[in-house]
Amino acid sequence: MGGLTLFGTPLAFTAPFVLLALAALPALWVLLRVTPPSPRQVAFPPLGLALDLAPKRQTPARTPWWLLLLRLLIAALVIVACAWPAWNPLPASPGSGPVLLLIDNGFASAGDWEERQASARETLEAAVRDGRPAAVVGLAQPAGDISPGGATEAIERLRTLRPVSYLPERAAHLPTIERFLEQNPDSTIIWITDRTALENVNTRANDDFATRLRTLAGERDVEVRGTAFPAGVTLADTANARDGLTVRVRRADPRATSEGRLRATDLKGLTLGETGFAFPPGALETEARFDLPVEIRNAVARIDVAGESSAGAVALIDGRQRRHRVGLVSGAGADTASQPLLSPTFYLTRALEPYAELREPRGTVSEAVDRLIDEQATVIVLTDVGVIDPRTAGRLEEFVRRGGILLRFSGPRMANSDEAFVPVRLRQGERTIGGALSWDTPRTFAPFPETSPLHGLPVSDEITVSRQILAEPDANLPRRTWATLTDGTPVITANRLGEGFIVLVHVTADATWSNLPLSGTFVEILRRIIALSETAGPTDNGDAVVTTETVSPQRVLDGFGSFQSPPPTARPVARGATERASMEHPAGFYGANEAPVAINALAPGDRPVALDISALETTVQPLASMQNIDLRQPLLLAALVLFMLDTIISAISGRGRRRVRPRAAGVAASLLLVGVVIHGGFPLAAPAHAAPADKRQLPTISDVDRQAALQTRLAYVITGNDEVDEISRAGLAGLSQELSYRTSFEPGDPVGVDPATDELAFYPLIYWPVVAERPMPSGTALRKIDAFMKSGGTMIFDTRDAWLQNASSDASPTAETLRLRQILAGLDIPGLEPVPADHVLTKTFFLMDHFPGRYATGETWVEALPPVPEGEPRPARGGDNVSPIIITSNDLAAAWASDDFGNPLLPTVGSDPDQHEMAARGGMNMVMYVLTGSYKADQVHVPALLDRLGQ
Amino acid sequence: MVHVATQPDRSRFPGLAEAEAAHDLAARLPRLVLESRRVSASLAHGIHGRGRAGPGENFWQFRPFYSGESAGNVDWRRSARDGRLYVREREWEAAQTMQLWIDRSLSMAFASSLALAPKVERAIVLGLALAETLVLAGERVGYAGALSPRANRQIGEQIAQVLAADATGAANDLPPAIPLKRRDETLLIGDFLSPLADIERVVSTITSNGAGGHAIMIVDPVEETFPFAGQTELIDPQTGERLRLGEAAAWRDSYRQRIASHRAGLQDIMTRRGLTLTTHHTDRPASEAALRVLSLIASRRDGKA
Repeated sequence: MGGLTLFGTPLAFTAPFVLLALAALPALWVLLRVTPPSPRQVAFPPLGLALDLAPKRQTPARTPWWLLLLRLLIAALVIVACAWPAWNPLPASPGSGPVLLLIDNGFASAGDWEERQASARETLEAAVRDGRPAAVVGLAQPAGDISPGGATEAIERLRTLRPVSYLPERAAHLPTIERFLEQNPDSTIIWITDRTALENVNTRANDDFATRLRTLAGERDVEVRGTAFPAGVTLADTANARDGLTVRVRRADPRATSEGRLRATDLKGLTLGETGFAFPPGALETEARFDLPVEIRNAVARIDVAGESSAGAVALIDGRQRRHRVGLVSGAGADTASQPLLSPTFYLTRALEPYAELREPRGTVSEAVDRLIDEQATVIVLTDVGVIDPRTAGRLEEFVRRGGILLRFSGPRMANSDEAFVPVRLRQGERTIGGALSWDTPRTFAPFPETSPLHGLPVSDEITVSRQILAEPDANLPRRTWATLTDGTPVITANRLGEGFIVLVHVTADATWSNLPLSGTFVEILRRIIALSETAGPTDNGDAVVTTETVSPQRVLDGFGSFQSPPPTARPVARGATERASMEHPAGFYGANEAPVAINALAPGDRPVALDISALETTVQPLASMQNIDLRQPLLLAALVLFMLDTIISAISGRGRRRVRPRAAGVAASLLLVGVVIHGGFPLAAPAHAAPADKRQLPTISDVDRQAALQTRLAYVITGNDEVDEISRAGLAGLSQELSYRTSFEPGDPVGVDPATDELAFYPLIYWPVVAERPMPSGTALRKIDAFMKSGGTMIFDTRDAWLQNASSDASPTAETLRLRQILAGLDIPGLEPVPADHVLTKTFFLMDHFPGRYATGETWVEALPPVPEGEPRPARGGDNVSPIIITSNDLAAAWASDDFGNPLLPTVGSDPDQHEMAARGGMNMVMYVLTGSYKADQVHVPALLDRLGQ
Repeated sequence: MVHVATQPDRSRFPGLAEAEAAHDLAARLPRLVLESRRVSASLAHGIHGRGRAGPGENFWQFRPFYSGESAGNVDWRRSARDGRLYVREREWEAAQTMQLWIDRSLSMAFASSLALAPKVERAIVLGLALAETLVLAGERVGYAGALSPRANRQIGEQIAQVLAADATGAANDLPPAIPLKRRDETLLIGDFLSPLADIERVVSTITSNGAGGHAIMIVDPVEETFPFAGQTELIDPQTGERLRLGEAAAWRDSYRQRIASHRAGLQDIMTRRGLTLTTHHTDRPASEAALRVLSLIASRRDGKA
């Protein structure tokens, strides 16, 4: 069944039955005429005073006929629009079976995506009118089963289809297309193509796609739509060369864009530079160059073609193109690891970290240098390396000649060696200025000479040099001097060797000879020297260092070349990856913002070529057919305009005549109308495929957890034995009460927790009375308890059997003790010891020597402290951590438990009449210990510290 | 847009809610102010000197001892100064009486969406709160025609009980025309929407012995501003009369003039009869009116003392 076509005019309705509603219009007319709006009734007590006041003006209660007509017209327009009229509908595609719509949605189709989508939508709308099923396949999407659904759903799918930042693997879809065609032999195939492929990249498969599609289609016609030639340009092969940032601009067809402008932006999207490009006539490739200062060039993160919205016309640049790999080699032994501040590389590392990628290989000097050269370092720093063996020296020389920079720092080893691999000849031994045996004061830096690359850096008087290595004066020395002291002694010298430099700093890289490494000038000097390698870096780009570190996607490009958050399908890449974008790795930045890895739509050397579709033996149809006009949108717009007119008329002519309710209804109706217009007409820019991360629902927080998070509480483990649980609760309640009486800690009501199900993180202290009759806690519970103890919580295990232990001293453990052992066997428990007399637990609030409960005889165990250090005995010791576990057998809770009047609930066993009090004090000490940690252990030193300060 | 609602009939008989609200308000009123006033004027607020000797706390005069009197009356300290015997007399002090009346007619059971509370509820809360405050300050409070004056701490509950039981009184929109004693005061709370002649007749009867008093006029903001527009039918809840307005906004100005002249006439009557008039809008907090009336009561006392 097709749409209703009216009397040969090219007007068709998709849903003609809706027009029947027009018959209801006269009824509406009558209804509106017959029932005038009833007046609003208002109770008004002072009316009696004003009854005699005659109303001044009465307005008619009836709507004028023309207004009525206007409203009927609005209703009619909405009804007709709902019938989905179309002017000049697309001639239905040949055939009557399902429509299979294949769409290239790689980056090459992003430029005219709107038209492609519109073309596809027209086809699908025609299918809707004809009642044909349809399927939409984005060829750059992962291949999946194609099943013909309703054409309306296909339109929805089409709307969510976006161009992606890589080129489609068309051939991957062939099997599913084949299956589809087998199941639906009467289907029609339409392929909307961008006709772009990459040279030498799956070209065969892509060209084959046309051939094999032809084979699959058999007798059917394959309609191909698209542009006459691939129109876009692509960027690839960015290179941060000596004389500028270059990028190769390529096109697939000589008729495509022949000139344009490139824009370079930094990570934040600020434009750093612009340049133009132009293809020589007929050429498919050209080069564009940004002439920018090195620093600015280094900040460039993205180059794109102005006006070209395609991920292919975007080149992302990461640290591999702009950061320098600096290798640090120290002549000092490995023993400096224990004292980092004395290590000569410490200051270098701190100074260079922000600007360069640092490598510090282990091993001997020659091994380290070998590795650094293999790793494509651009700068190698040698600190206090004395003798360099000839083979290494040879490699270093070659490295420098090719453009590397060798930066050497002096040191005792160097001063006492006969060194050849330096920019100037050196004197044996070093000069000491300002030492005990010298009359001089330490020298400061003179302003940097104009010939020096360091010229212009600020010189601080605070930088002093007390020891240095001296250069033999000769004719070349002034030329090779980059920095001198105030007395003219060279302190940084350099020599050009081939393409690179050998730079020698005549002081050490640590602060023993000079405080230069401590100053900001040091950082600036290093930056300048490293920047030199910009212009002299090794150029052969060998195989990149393969690291196994992977970085996850941070910001990826969509097909239009704009950044967005990564889709869930995006996967991390290896840090050294240079691959082209794919479905799993969309183009974009991966990894942290400081050192992102860029994945580009095109790998270096990729050239776009036109796809060969001659095998399909069909002509390429243009994308847009402009004749088909969907009339819904103009009709609804007209209705909306009339509605506004109606509102204005009623507002002007009959202020207040209309009742309130209809006005509110009118607003609702207009909103509805706007909604319909938007929905029916305008393709929304943001379809409903928001990042799923946004929709992730946070877990709900239970009320108990919320309360526990809002107020600190003590907790006990619910054992399942009602009697024990009640005593635990009463005990902790009593202890909480005592705490708020006597300390500044006012805990909330105690909470019973089930470690298997409840969140424990909110409680500082959990009391666990061990009950032998109850089953063992589950594995989940034990894991959660383990995590609780590891993350800073403290468990008190109470076997409550001190009395029994005492009675049977023949060391056969009680059932509770056995159960406790079972529980602890499943936990990662540190070494334990009975609370030593100097443990901080005995001093956190009260001074205690033991921790009685109902019984006073049981031992209390805590995590073993580190052994007593040598020297002065300390009055209190606590480890750095709070003991995660306290084990007792004294039945603490039973002693803490009190009734509402503060009277103890249970008697104590023992002769001490104050045992209840002592138990409560012990409990308070435990809580304070858990809350304050080793604070009290430090606190006991306060008198001594004050004493010392006083002296 | 303003909505108005006539309250259910129950609302005109105070319940627990009103009593509690009155308690609340009474508790917030500044007793301290009254207290300090009493100290400075050596006049208890409520215990008012009668200008002659009698039972009281303050010194009035020394008079010679008459033979035959109880020797215990002799003020020995004064008598020791000369040879004669004196008796210390104190000033006769008596509490003042406040007659409360609250309008609970149908027109009071009215609230618009602009108001914080229905008029009747506000009137009862104000009345009970003032009653409690006055009793706490030593006054005696009664309810016109239903409750004799008393200084009971539970006066709020008692008046509330009286009001709850008094169904006939609830229909009247004017207080019972009973003359008060000269030193008594009356406290009338209502909307005073009756014709001015009726009001004048009643008020003049009440004050015929020279008693003064205070009146609080409870006004819903809608009654003041008349914010209606459009086709409207006005209904008088008391009489059931209806007025149909084609365009309510056009009627507004003339209505406002009318209500203003009514207000002016009322003010005139009250002033002539020695009553103060406080206009209270129900979109304002009750404490405002309560404070104003309390200060008026206090200032009147000061004037008389």
